Amino acid sequence: MSVAAIDGVMRWAVIIAICAPLLSALVIGVLLMGRARWMRESAVAGGVTASLFVSAAASFVASACHFGIPGIRVPGNIEYGDWLAVGDYSVPLVALVDGIALTFSLLAATLTALVARFSRTYLHKEAGFARFFVLLAMFAAGSQLVAFAGALDAFFAGWELIGLSSALFIGFFHERDEPVRSSVRAFATYRLCDVGLLIAMVTVHEVLGSTRFSALTASGSLPALESATIGALFLLSAMGKSAQLPFSGWLPRAMEGPTPSSALFYGAVSIHAGLYLMLRVSPVIAVAPVVAGIGVVVGVATAIYGAAMARVHTDAKGALAHATLSQIGLILAEICLGLTRLAIAHLVCHALLRAYQYLRAPNMIHDVHQHGHMDHGHMMFARIAPRLSERIYALAVHRLRLDEQIDRAIAPVLRLSRALARVDARLSGIVQSERSAP
Amino acid sequence: MCAGSSWRASRRAVAISAHADAGARDASPLDRALSRLHDILPDQGPIGVFIHHNTLHAFQHLPFHEGVQQGAALLDARPYLDMHEFRSAWRRGRIEDDDAAAAIRRALGHTADERVIFGLSRAEFCLALLRDVVDEEDEAGLAYLQSRAPGSLHGAAHVPAALERLRGLPPRTESDPSPPLRHRDALVRLRAHDTDISVHAELVRLSAVFLDHGQAMAEMPHRHEGFLRAVCELYAAGATEPDACHGVRDDALEVLAQGHSARAVISAAVAALGIDDASFDSFIVATALALPGWTGMFSRLERHPEEIEGPGAVTLADMLAVRLLHERRAIEHAAAVAGLPMDWTSLRARVARHPTSAPAHDAWLLAGFAESAGVSDASIAALSGDELLGYFAEVAAMPRLRRRQLMHEAYERRYRRQILDALHALRPEIPPERHLRPAAQFVFCIDEREESIRRALEEQSPDFETFGAAGFFGVAIDFMGLYDDSPAAHCPVVITPAHEVHESANADEQHWHLRRTGLRDRWRAASRAVHRKSRTLSGGAGLSFVLGPIAAALALSRVIAPRTSLALVDSARERFAPRPSTRLSALRLTEDATSRSERGKLVGFSLAETVDRVGGVLRSLGMTTRFAPVVIILGHGSTSLNNPHESAHDCGACGGRRGGGNARLFAEMANNDAVRDALQAQGLTIPDDVWFIGGLHDTASDDVTLYDLEYLPVGHAAAFQRAHDALDAARRESAAERCRRFANAPLGLSPDAALRHVEARSSHLAQPRPEYGHCTNAIAIVGRRSISRGLHLDRRPFLVSYDPTADTDAAILTRILAAVGPVGAGISLEYYFSAVDNERFGCGTKLPHNVTGLVGVMAGHQSDLRTGLPLQMVEIHEPLRLLLIVDASTEALLTVASRVAEVAELVVNEWVQLVSCDPGTGAMSIFEDGRFVPYVPGAQALPRVQRSRDWHMQSREHLPPALILSAIVRHGTQT
Repeated sequence: MSVAAIDGVMRWAVIIAICAPLLSALVIGVLLMGRARWMRESAVAGGVTASLFVSAAASFVASACHFGIPGIRVPGNIEYGDWLAVGDYSVPLVALVDGIALTFSLLAATLTALVARFSRTYLHKEAGFARFFVLLAMFAAGSQLVAFAGALDAFFAGWELIGLSSALFIGFFHERDEPVRSSVRAFATYRLCDVGLLIAMVTVHEVLGSTRFSALTASGSLPALESATIGALFLLSAMGKSAQLPFSGWLPRAMEGPTPSSALFYGAVSIHAGLYLMLRVSPVIAVAPVVAGIGVVVGVATAIYGAAMARVHTDAKGALAHATLSQIGLILAEICLGLTRLAIAHLVCHALLRAYQYLRAPNMIHDVHQHGHMDHGHMMFARIAPRLSERIYALAVHRLRLDEQIDRAIAPVLRLSRALARVDARLSGIVQSERSAP
Repeated sequence: MCAGSSWRASRRAVAISAHADAGARDASPLDRALSRLHDILPDQGPIGVFIHHNTLHAFQHLPFHEGVQQGAALLDARPYLDMHEFRSAWRRGRIEDDDAAAAIRRALGHTADERVIFGLSRAEFCLALLRDVVDEEDEAGLAYLQSRAPGSLHGAAHVPAALERLRGLPPRTESDPSPPLRHRDALVRLRAHDTDISVHAELVRLSAVFLDHGQAMAEMPHRHEGFLRAVCELYAAGATEPDACHGVRDDALEVLAQGHSARAVISAAVAALGIDDASFDSFIVATALALPGWTGMFSRLERHPEEIEGPGAVTLADMLAVRLLHERRAIEHAAAVAGLPMDWTSLRARVARHPTSAPAHDAWLLAGFAESAGVSDASIAALSGDELLGYFAEVAAMPRLRRRQLMHEAYERRYRRQILDALHALRPEIPPERHLRPAAQFVFCIDEREESIRRALEEQSPDFETFGAAGFFGVAIDFMGLYDDSPAAHCPVVITPAHEVHESANADEQHWHLRRTGLRDRWRAASRAVHRKSRTLSGGAGLSFVLGPIAAALALSRVIAPRTSLALVDSARERFAPRPSTRLSALRLTEDATSRSERGKLVGFSLAETVDRVGGVLRSLGMTTRFAPVVIILGHGSTSLNNPHESAHDCGACGGRRGGGNARLFAEMANNDAVRDALQAQGLTIPDDVWFIGGLHDTASDDVTLYDLEYLPVGHAAAFQRAHDALDAARRESAAERCRRFANAPLGLSPDAALRHVEARSSHLAQPRPEYGHCTNAIAIVGRRSISRGLHLDRRPFLVSYDPTADTDAAILTRILAAVGPVGAGISLEYYFSAVDNERFGCGTKLPHNVTGLVGVMAGHQSDLRTGLPLQMVEIHEPLRLLLIVDASTEALLTVASRVAEVAELVVNEWVQLVSCDPGTGAMSIFEDGRFVPYVPGAQALPRVQRSRDWHMQSREHLPPALILSAIVRHGTQT
C-alpha cells in the first residue's frame, strides 16, 4: 500500500474511532429526550455497542497501519483544517497518531466495548439502562478524543467528556443521597484541577504560539520559570484526574456507580487518563526538573498512601480502588523519571488487570468458598514498629481525612466567593431598582 | 367539621410505644431497650450462608395486619404494596370487584349496609374509596395525576362544586406522621446539618473494620477487646477525629483512661443530650434503627458468636456506645452551628406542627364520592354541616393503611380462589388409585422450584411418580465433601446435627485424589496469593505485567462466551486431574471412640439410627408400598457467579447449603441390606429389586448429577436408563419453563436451547438473575400428590408429600408441619417484605453492591449493611401470605396446632393462610378469625391443555392453574 493510501485510511480511522460513539450518544440521547422515552433495551444497547465495536475496529485498523506495516510510519500529525479561526488565532483540528496515542486508544476502545457487552446483561431491566449506555458512548467518544487529540483544545474537550461522564456514573443511583454527594465531590475535584489544564492551554498558546502537542517540543527554549509553570499546571490537572495526593479523596467515593462502570473508569481508563496527559506533555516535564521532581514525590507518596489504604479497606471495591491508586502513583513517578516505555507497559498491563478484578469484585464470597479462607495479614511495619504500625492503621481507616482537609483549605475561597456573590446580588439589586425607578 | 379529627395516627410513635409495653418491666430501661432491639433489628447473619426468615419475626406474636403495620411503622417501611399498585392490579383483573367487596364485608361486619353519604352504603362507600376516589394527599401528587390524565380523573367534574361547598370551613389538623424521636430528626426538620451523614460515615468504616471476616489484609488492632475499646484505642493510636464530631477523641481517651463500660458511655451520652425517662426508650430504639444493617449485625453476632471469628465479644451495647460517643458530639456541633438548643425537651419544642390537610385534597375526595354515587353538583351543595362532619368521620375511620390492608386481602383472596377452585375442579379428574408398580419414583425437595421438573416428569408417563420431602431427607449431618475445608451443618437451622459424614476418595483412585488435591492446594494458594499480592505496592507492580495480559484474555472469554469458557476450563481440569470416585462414611460399625470426629461428633450413623431415619422419611412420604425398581432422590443447590446472594438460592432445608450429600447418604442407607431387613421387621418392606440413587439438581443451571451409579445392580440398567432419560428430558422442559420468566430469553425457546440459556446464566459474570430463586412462591400443598397432580401451578407451590390415610393420630403431620410451617412461612414472608419495600426490608438493586468484610453487602462505597433480598430476586414476586393447603381434616389440623406452638402462632395470627382439604370428601375450609370457615368453590371450569408447554409458553406473566391432561391420562402400564 502506498503511503498516501495508508494516510487516507488513518485519517478516516481516527475520525470513525471518535465519531462513532459520539454519534450514537447524540442520536440515542436525543431520541430518549424526545418521544422514544421507553426505547427498547436491545435498541439502545445494540446501537451503542455497535458504535463501540466500530470505534474499536477503527482503532485497531489505525494500530495495524502504524505498528503492522514495517517500513511505513505515518507521520505524527494528521491535519483536518481549522476548527475556527479568528484573525491569527486559530483552533486547529489535528490528530496526533503515534504509538502512545494508539496504545491508549486501543486500550480504551477495547475495554469500553467489553464493558458494554457486560453491561447489556448486567443492567438488564434497570431503570437507568438507556442513560447508562448513552453515558458509556459519551465516555468512549471522550476517551478517543483524548487519545488522538493533536492539540490541547480538542484534548480538553475529550478530557471534559470523560470527567462529566465519570461524575454522572458516580451519581448513577441518584435516588439515594450518598451517590449524589460523591458525584459532586468528584466533579468539584475535577473542576478544580482542570483549571490547571485550562490555564496551561492558554499559556502554551501565548508562549509557543500553538496549542499543538508537537509544539511542546520547543518548550526547551522557554525560560525555566515558564516551562516549570506550564509543567506544574499540567501536573495539577493530571493529579485530579488520576486521584493523586492530595486529591485522592474522591476515588473511594466513586465506587457508588454500577460495577462495570467502576471497572472501566477507576480500574482501567479514566483513572489512567491523567497519566496519559503526562505522557503527552512529557517534553515539558523533561525540561522542568522541578516539576518532574514534584511528580515523583507526589507519585511515590500516593503509591504508599494507596497501598496502606488497600490493606485497611474491607470492601471489595474500595480496596481495589486504592490498590489501583498505588500503581497509578508508581506510574506517575515512572513517567516523571522519564521511563516512558516502562510506564506505558505498566499502564496497559495494570489497566487490564484491574478491569478484570473489578468485574469480578462481587464474586468475593464465591471465591472464598472456592479458594479457602484468607487470614489477616499484617499492617505495614507491624513487626519492626508496632506502635507506628497501629498509628498508620488508625490514620488509614479514616483515609487521612483528606476530604475534610481540602474542605478546610478551600473554605476561605468559598467564603470569599459567597461574599462576592452577596455583593453582586446587592449591586444588581441596586441597578435593577434604578432601572425600574423611572 | 371535626377540627381535631386525626385520621392518620402518629404511626411511628404509637408503634414504638406499643412495642415498649411488651417488654419486661423489671429490667433497667437500657436492658429493656436492648433486648427489644435484639428482636427488632434485622436478624441476618454473615452473607456466606443465607437463611430465609420472617423479616418481622419480632412481631409474629401479633395478628398479621397488626404486626406488619407496627413493624413497618417502626422501621419506616411500607407494610403492603402501594395503593396505585393495587389499583393497577384491579384494572388488569388481578383483583375483582367481588374480592374487594368480600374483604370490605369481612372488615365492616354488620355495619356494612348503613347509609353514609349521597345514599351510598358503607360497603359501597369503601369500595369507591378503594377503587376510584382520587386521594393524593399532597398538591404535587394531585398535580401529577392531573397532568397524566387531564380531565379524566374520577370525580374531576365535581371538584369545583366540592371546593365551593367546603369553602370557609376550618381546615382539619392532622397529627404528625413522623414525630421527631431523636435529635437528628429535629435538626433535619429545622434545616440544620444532618448529623447522620457524618456519624454514619464513621460508624460504617469502624464497624466494617471491626467485623471484617478476612477481606482486608490488615486486622484492626485491639480487635479482641471489643468494639468500644478497639475504637478508643484507634483514637489513642493517633486517629484524627472528624470535624463534625469535634471532641470525640478526648471522650475516647477518657473512656480508655477511666475504663468506662459501654453502658456508662450510653448513659453519659443520653444525659448530655437531655433525654428524659419518658423519651429514653423511643430515643434508644430510633437511634439504633437509624443504621439497622450494621447495628443488626452486631446484635446477630452477639447472639450467634459462632458465626464469626476474629473480633472479641461483639455486643449491641458496644455499637450503641460508639455511636452515641460520636453522635453526641455531632449533635453538639450541629446545634451550635444552627443556634439551636441541645437539650431534647427544648429542641423538640422548636419543631413546628405538621401542616393541616389541604382543601383541594378534601374537595377531590368529596367529588369522587359524588361521582361514584352518580349524584349532581346540587347534592354536593345541599350537604348539611352535620352530614359533612359524619362523612369526614367515615373517611377517618378508613385511613390509608386500612384501605391497603383491605386491598391486600382482596389481592390474596383472588389468588386463593383460583387455586382452591382449581383443586376442587381437579377432584373429579383424579384417576382411581393405581395398583400397578410405577416405573420410577423421584423424590425432590419440597421447594417450589422443583414443581416444574416434577410436572415435566409426570407428563411423560403415568408410570413416573414424584414426591416431595424437606431437602435434607431426614439426615441431619455435618457434611464434609471431598474438597471442603471443614464440615458444615446440612439440615434445617433449628437442628444441631449429632453426626458427621465425610466424603472420601475410593482406595483405588487415591492417586487421582492426591494429584488433584495437590494441584488444587497449589492453585488455591496461588489464587489467594494473587488476590492479596496484586493489591500491594510491589506485588501489584510486578504482577501487573504478568497478569494483565492473562486478565484481558480471561475477561474477554468470560464475558463473550461465559458458558463455553467455563466448560473448557472444567473439561481441561477433568482431563488433567479427574475427580476420583468417592464414598461416604455413611454407617459406623461400632460405638467406640475412634468413630468420633475431631469435633467430637459421631462419624456415620449406627444401624438403629439409619433404620430410624430411612423409615421415618419413607413413612412421612407415604412411600411404603408399590416401590418402583428405581427411586431417585434429588437434593438441590445453585451455582452462580458474581452473586453475593448465591447461598440464598441453595436449599433452605439444608441450612442454606446444597442437598446433594444428604440425598446420596439417604440413598446409600436405603440400599443397605441390613437396614432393609430391620425395616422389614418393622413392617416396612422394601423389595430386593428396588434401588435408590441419590443426586443433586442445580436449580440455576438445571444440571443433574447422580451419585454412586457404579454400584447400580446390572439388572436395573434398563429401568435406570428409562428414568434417567425421563429426568434428562424433564430438566430441559423445566429450563424452558423457567426461561419464560426471563425477559432477555426469547419466549418459546426449545428445551435444548433453554438448557443452554440457563447454563449460560449460571456461569455468567454479568448475570444478576442467575435464577429467580423462591420468587413467586405462594402456596404450600401438604398431601398426596394425587390431589394436585395434573395441575399446572406455575412453579409456585411447595409440594410436601404426606399420606393422611396412613396417619391416624396426626403424628406424621405434626412432624411435617412443625418443619414446613416455619420454613415455608419464613421464605414466603422474607419474599413478601423484600417485595413490598425493597429499599427498607430488602437490599435494593444488586448493581452497586459492594461485598464488605465477607459479612454482607453495602450499596456503594459506604452505606448501611443491606439485608434482605435484592430487587433482582423479587421483581416478579407477588407479595402474598403463604397459602398452606393440607390434605387433612380440620380436626387433625387443630390437633397439630395444639401440639406445636410455633405453627399455632403462625396460623392463629394468620401469618399463613391455612386451608384444610378433607382427605375423604375433598371439602375445603379456610382458617379465618380463629376458626375454620367452609369454602364454597366457584364453578369455573379449568382450562385443559395436553402438555404444560401449551399452557405456559403463551406469556411471561403469572398464570392461573390449568389441567395438564398428559399428567393424569389413564392408560395401562407398559411394564
